[in-house]
Amino acid sequence: MPPKEPHSVVEVALKAALLVHQSGGDTTRTETTMRRVAVALEAERVDTMVSSLSLTLNAKLNGAFVTGMRRAPHMGVNFRVLTGMERALHSLEDGRIGMEKFEELIDRLAIPRHYYPPWLIVICVGIACGGFAAMFMGDRIAIAITMLAGMAGMATRLLLVKWQFKPFIMVAGAAFVATMVTGLLKSFTETPEIAIAACVLFLIPGVPLINGASDLLNNNYLNAMVRLAMGTILIIGLSLGMSIALRIVN
Amino acid sequence: MNWYLWLVQLWAAPAALGFAILFNSPPSTLWRSALLAVLGHLIRDACVHFGIDIVMSTLLAAISIGFCAQFWATQQRQAAPVLSICAAIPMVPGVPMFKTIQSLIDMAREPSSQLAAAYLADAGANAARAIMILFALALGISAPWLLKPGMKVKKKT
Repeated sequence: MPPKEPHSVVEVALKAALLVHQSGGDTTRTETTMRRVAVALEAERVDTMVSSLSLTLNAKLNGAFVTGMRRAPHMGVNFRVLTGMERALHSLEDGRIGMEKFEELIDRLAIPRHYYPPWLIVICVGIACGGFAAMFMGDRIAIAITMLAGMAGMATRLLLVKWQFKPFIMVAGAAFVATMVTGLLKSFTETPEIAIAACVLFLIPGVPLINGASDLLNNNYLNAMVRLAMGTILIIGLSLGMSIALRIVN
Repeated sequence: MNWYLWLVQLWAAPAALGFAILFNSPPSTLWRSALLAVLGHLIRDACVHFGIDIVMSTLLAAISIGFCAQFWATQQRQAAPVLSICAAIPMVPGVPMFKTIQSLIDMAREPSSQLAAAYLADAGANAARAIMILFALALGISAPWLLKPGMKVKKKT
């Protein structure tokens, strides 16, 4: 096999890490992905830097040092990418595929593909909110109202994502709609507080918060602060939307 | 507590599934996340039932989720967070989180500082609960990784 071009090795490693970083992987996972790709492609030495907004990789290949850097703005969560990347990395490390094939696999992962259509997401998120209401011991009508409110809120959120609003406005708008629906129907149930509390839970930024806490435990203090701050801002947006709706309803 | 009240735990499965679908998890991982969610919820509520506090119970539940997810992940060449995060999300303390912010909003518009102090205490208690439960969750989920010495790279760098 001919010796690998150092530039393309760095390029591929950065591409893989960028996908992981933007699909809900924590900092350690991003860093390890970069390192694993570069080492599997015969880098002698790898130094990485993962900040919340950019990735940097310096690798030594065939005696030459190459550095690459990529901007990495925050994006949503996409577990399809994490799954596909883990499989591709295993194949690469076991030598079952070469660099060209690996690059092809991650290029295919980079194309957005949704397993589930939007209407199914809306329905399932609604049922999930109903599940929260049930776990908080709400009565049956409260569960039904929460499902309805969750669906309305999720539909609003998807719409606001489509119109490319800022995340803060997106969360506030969705929380407002969900709370309004629950608030208008609250006279039918005996446990309105439970319905109101459960109908916005699909907006809690669980992944940034869990990843933030896990980054703190894995010594990535700076990225952890960025993620936790992001999560806090989204929760403030949520409370804002809720407060406005509750004030209108009462 | 009547036995049928424990059936409420099964609602953790649709709650986890909703999030798994929102996060575009591959269809083959869905039932495992749902099962882990029910398991986690069951362990947490059983611990609370037997008198352990909520933070410790969440930690125990999250550790079980973390290790089961890691086991399945190694077996199936899967990324562990895909399973564990979906399973843990129904336990994220969402209600204490937004109650904290709402107490702070109420405190800001309360003219009497004595009443405002009550709101502040409320916000503080909710915030402490939310932060502790969140850390218990994160600690439990990343326990398999944290307890493993050294870096997980196959060749020497």
